[in-house]
Amino acid sequence: MIWIEVLSRHRDVTARFRINARELCIGRSYDNDVILDDPYVAARHLRVFHDEAGQLMAEDLGSANGMYLDRGRSRLARVAIDGNVPIRVGHTLIRIRETSHAVESERLVRSASRFVQIAAAVVLGLALLALAAINVWFTQTSEPHLSDYLIPLLTLVGVGLIWIGMWSLLSRLFSGQSHFLRHVVIAESVALAFWTYNEVTQFLAFSLTWSIAYTYTYIASWLALAVMCFLHLREVGRTHLVAKGVVVAVLLVIAVAVQTLQRSEAYANSGRRTVWHVLLPPGLRMAPLQDETTFFADVGKLRTKLDADRAAARPGANAP
Amino acid sequence: MSVASVVSALRWCGAIVLIACSTAAAAAEAPSGAEGVYASAPPRLLQIRTLVAGGGRQTSTGSGFLVSPDGLAITNYHVVSDVALEPKTYRLEYTAADGSHGDVTLLAVDLPNDLALVRVDKHDAPFFSFDKAALDGTLQKGERLYSLGNPLDLGFTIVEGTYNGLVEHSYNEHIHFTGALNPGMSGGPAVDSQGQVVGINVATRRDRQLISFLVPARFAAALLARGRTQQATPEDLRKDVVQQLGSWRAALYGSLAEQGYQSETFGPYQAPETRASWFECWSQTNASASPKPRASINTTNCTADASVFVASDLHTGTIEVSQSYVKSVDLNQFQLANVLSGMAQPRLAIGGPFRKWYTPQHCHDDFVDVAPAASHPPLRATWCMQGYREFENLYDVVLIAVTQDQGHEALVSRLSLQAIGYDDAIKLGQRFLEGLQVVR
Repeated sequence: MIWIEVLSRHRDVTARFRINARELCIGRSYDNDVILDDPYVAARHLRVFHDEAGQLMAEDLGSANGMYLDRGRSRLARVAIDGNVPIRVGHTLIRIRETSHAVESERLVRSASRFVQIAAAVVLGLALLALAAINVWFTQTSEPHLSDYLIPLLTLVGVGLIWIGMWSLLSRLFSGQSHFLRHVVIAESVALAFWTYNEVTQFLAFSLTWSIAYTYTYIASWLALAVMCFLHLREVGRTHLVAKGVVVAVLLVIAVAVQTLQRSEAYANSGRRTVWHVLLPPGLRMAPLQDETTFFADVGKLRTKLDADRAAARPGANAP
Repeated sequence: MSVASVVSALRWCGAIVLIACSTAAAAAEAPSGAEGVYASAPPRLLQIRTLVAGGGRQTSTGSGFLVSPDGLAITNYHVVSDVALEPKTYRLEYTAADGSHGDVTLLAVDLPNDLALVRVDKHDAPFFSFDKAALDGTLQKGERLYSLGNPLDLGFTIVEGTYNGLVEHSYNEHIHFTGALNPGMSGGPAVDSQGQVVGINVATRRDRQLISFLVPARFAAALLARGRTQQATPEDLRKDVVQQLGSWRAALYGSLAEQGYQSETFGPYQAPETRASWFECWSQTNASASPKPRASINTTNCTADASVFVASDLHTGTIEVSQSYVKSVDLNQFQLANVLSGMAQPRLAIGGPFRKWYTPQHCHDDFVDVAPAASHPPLRATWCMQGYREFENLYDVVLIAVTQDQGHEALVSRLSLQAIGYDDAIKLGQRFLEGLQVVR
């Protein structure tokens, strides 16, 4: 007995035929054992049979378009079948297996992991909402209104649901399962990581007067988005991970480069960096107090920079 | 620049417009009053026009007046600034009331007082003399003055107004003239009923009525005495403008440092406020705001409009000292820090297009401890500075200090100094920080 399986481009089985014979023919005409409705397939395209050694073979019956292995480019007249690599005829992929073909062992249903996923989604989600609420609370310096909290929190939830829904839909389309919970956990954990970065760098900008990481938050935000997209893509299908990684990385580099260029041009035009000078409660200071002399000595270094800029800006300074 | 005039905004408790104007002045022998002035003035007045060197069309116009029989005339620096700074791009021409015109040579400028001395090719024409009482500063307030010029290029005009003495709270001396000066009249004379020059039209307050300013005649007389013999090349003049700017700013900041700060009390804090009389101070509170503020903010803001017209697109020199005492009503420490953040951003103002005049701004933030620690609160200080591309050792500086001794109240102090030399900035900044004290 031989099984013939027609595969989709994503290697899903779209049709399966059981042939109760030692030999069979595949083609477009009705005198075949398996009929393929592919205009690029010959009327009688290939024959499947056992050779003298008992090995299952496929043989081209003289078609115009020929027979190939999977994505291979070399036309084959005859090929031994191993049951794993599909054969390509016309635009159709077919997989041929005998009843003796060994299948993978059974996967365990992981009910515990589902519980962990639900718990993680809930905890991360609450953490995000709490962080957002605290942020609103701390910037709430005029008369408090409930809508000040509701609008940003509902926006966050709404945007999150749309984002996760989109990825679940893609998963459903391409891998048959929506993996909703996994997408929720991915989106929430990356968002939380980025948010934490933002808060920590603000804290450092005040507390240690170290503001570089805070200044480059925009790079971190693109990086977070890229990581998030890659993880979602991985969930959609675990194939072609290298290609997906490369595409995401290239988009990341382009986005960061464009924004960096735009910022540097804005700086060249205005002479000002768009930096917020962060103040936090005095109790959070970790850097030591400098005495006046040190402070003004540091100011002297600014002067050196300004004078260098002045020399560079002087008309003709860079002329050859 | 408008066709008819050099109009530039100055800040003087608001917007002040420099007016470029021209008109007629008086003659001693003519009948007195406006008619007499008008009868004798036209041959002594000039309209001064700036033209692109290659072309024949004016880019701006102002007024001027003859002060000697050999063709020396006084006008405003801002009427001729394009030629002073870019002599290769621009040139000057005059038109007299009788329609004659000719070339104008720039001889000398007085940047701080916005005056310029020029020579025109006009000999043995009648000219204006300066009023003796005005030179001595003994002119009576309320005296009738006639301002002359060519507003909006409409033709020679006479404007009647009143002498109100010198403007208060001003570092540079200006006469407060109640009369309608308009763009195009800059550089024209304001004369008394005998037709003698008391001041030179220079600026007017925009959005207000009849508040105008004159440069006292004595500065013009001094410039005439100094510049009469000068034979400056265009390059020398440009250097002279830069040099005058630097030395005038140094003198101004020297005087500010010399007068020192006095202590003002804000809650538990003592903060420095300048003693200089040429600052104007205003205070502001949000105590009566509605809904009831969650932090009380009391601000004192002292500004000196010591700004000067350097070029048609560069006005600089304002000084500002401000103190805000912020005390939480029901804000927590993070919320209060947020309020303070908003108030403590550097916001360095620029007086003209950045790419032409300034170098990029750089800032330094740190926690500073001024000794002795018992009487000085720890501070979070931000120093931001930008330089001028073409003026050596001249910077705009802003220093902001926020007290860090308490989480529920703070003093936000701001010192903003435009067009200042580095050493002066450091000296004033140091004394400013040292003046911030706390008593608990």
